[in-house]
Amino acid sequence: MRPLTEDESKAVFTKLANYIVLYPFLIQDLRNEPYCFRLHRDRVFYVSESSMRLGISVARPNLVSLGTCFGKFSKSGKFKLHITSLDYIAKYAKYKVWIKPNGEMPYLYGNHILKAHLGRITEDTPEHQGVVVYSMKDVPLGFGVTARSTVDTRKLDPTAIIVFHQADVGEYLRDEETLF
Amino acid sequence: MDVSGLIASHAAKFQSVTVEKDTPPEVDVGFLIVTDLNPIDEESYGADLESHLQKLARDGTQALISKLFSLPTTPSPDGPVAQLPPPTTQIPRSKPLPKPKPPTKWERFAAAKGIQKKVREKKIWDEEKQEWVNRWGKDGKNKEKEEQWITEVPLNADVNFDLVKVARDARKERVAKNEKQQLQNLKRAQGTSSNTLEERKKQIERTVATTRISTASMGRFDKRLEGEKKLKGVKRKFDPAEAPADAERNASLALLNKMESDAKKTRREPDAQDSVLNVRKAVRFASKGRGALALAKDSRSKSRNAKGSRKSR
Repeated sequence: MRPLTEDESKAVFTKLANYIVLYPFLIQDLRNEPYCFRLHRDRVFYVSESSMRLGISVARPNLVSLGTCFGKFSKSGKFKLHITSLDYIAKYAKYKVWIKPNGEMPYLYGNHILKAHLGRITEDTPEHQGVVVYSMKDVPLGFGVTARSTVDTRKLDPTAIIVFHQADVGEYLRDEETLF
Repeated sequence: MDVSGLIASHAAKFQSVTVEKDTPPEVDVGFLIVTDLNPIDEESYGADLESHLQKLARDGTQALISKLFSLPTTPSPDGPVAQLPPPTTQIPRSKPLPKPKPPTKWERFAAAKGIQKKVREKKIWDEEKQEWVNRWGKDGKNKEKEEQWITEVPLNADVNFDLVKVARDARKERVAKNEKQQLQNLKRAQGTSSNTLEERKKQIERTVATTRISTASMGRFDKRLEGEKKLKGVKRKFDPAEAPADAERNASLALLNKMESDAKKTRREPDAQDSVLNVRKAVRFASKGRGALALAKDSRSKSRNAKGSRKSR
């Protein structure tokens, strides 16, 4: 376990900046405690300072996980965000998409969001923008990337893809072994 | 009339001038230092430390001041002035002793052979002139042959044999040789100091490392020499894992600021909302999805064709 280097933090922050406003996220104190990023076996964890200190005393091969896994670095050094980070991302999301109840199931099975399933979308969402997907009851379901801007979606036919699927909470069941 | 009280008070008044100790304290008036060599009285030390120390200090000061006042004085407009005697206390050197110069090659040889150093006098007796002349330098004895008004030529000498030149060349050669030896001694003296030796070693290692990866395969498929060590790469260094989270947050905020300012510096494509026309999409539509390059090529060839057809007409 170690802190991120500058390049690694840059990769993480640029990825996060697609979905959230970074500044309030970075200065937040959860449960009156500062949080920090730690890297362990290519995975980035968002940990409270106290659990980080406890984790220091665990030997590297014995440490499986700590805090919340935000994602992992690929071998080529790219950062991939995991669904486990959804709780934090949903809190500071810039652009949101709500899907109708009949679209929830297809999305949770890993499909893209079609226009027919689109309930609401944040106004003036640009093209290829990271968005957080919610159900109509405001339960965060995952995140993805918009295929079209809000203005363009109006003219599309119902089967057109609006949001490309990136991660959804169904992964908790589908990718249980590799996720954390 | 009872004067015993008066006498006692008088005695008490002057008792403070005397210092009574088993060994009188050593006073160095030059440095104004008093050294009390008496062993510490355990009883009074244990009973009341403060008063014991005060008494000790008072005794020392009193001894010094009585010594000062016993010095001979000279009157001056500001009052009597006493000259302090030179100090007697030995004070340690502030700087370390200078290191001995490393011996020259000759000195080492002489030491090994047990040759004693002889001091050669600068002047030498000249039989002909009947006076002392310099061994070298101005009108030196070593330039005798060059400066004499007549020179002896050996029997089977060359036609243009010049004794002056030969003697001068030999002398100059000796000077040059000596200078060379001096330089070599200096170089040897520098080389022996451990610091430069270490540096030199590092430098050589760096050079070897550079040459080893300076082949077409970056040293991957080169033949290994015997006793060649594996190259050590640069070890990555990370921040300590136990750094406080606050410090880390500040660092990440600084990084965020930097990233934002970098993003502002690079030119960005104008937002789709700013202009009515989405250029990218327009290009895609006009080129039927083949991109801007294909579109440009098409338009160029079209115009060329049009020109050509006009000419042929």
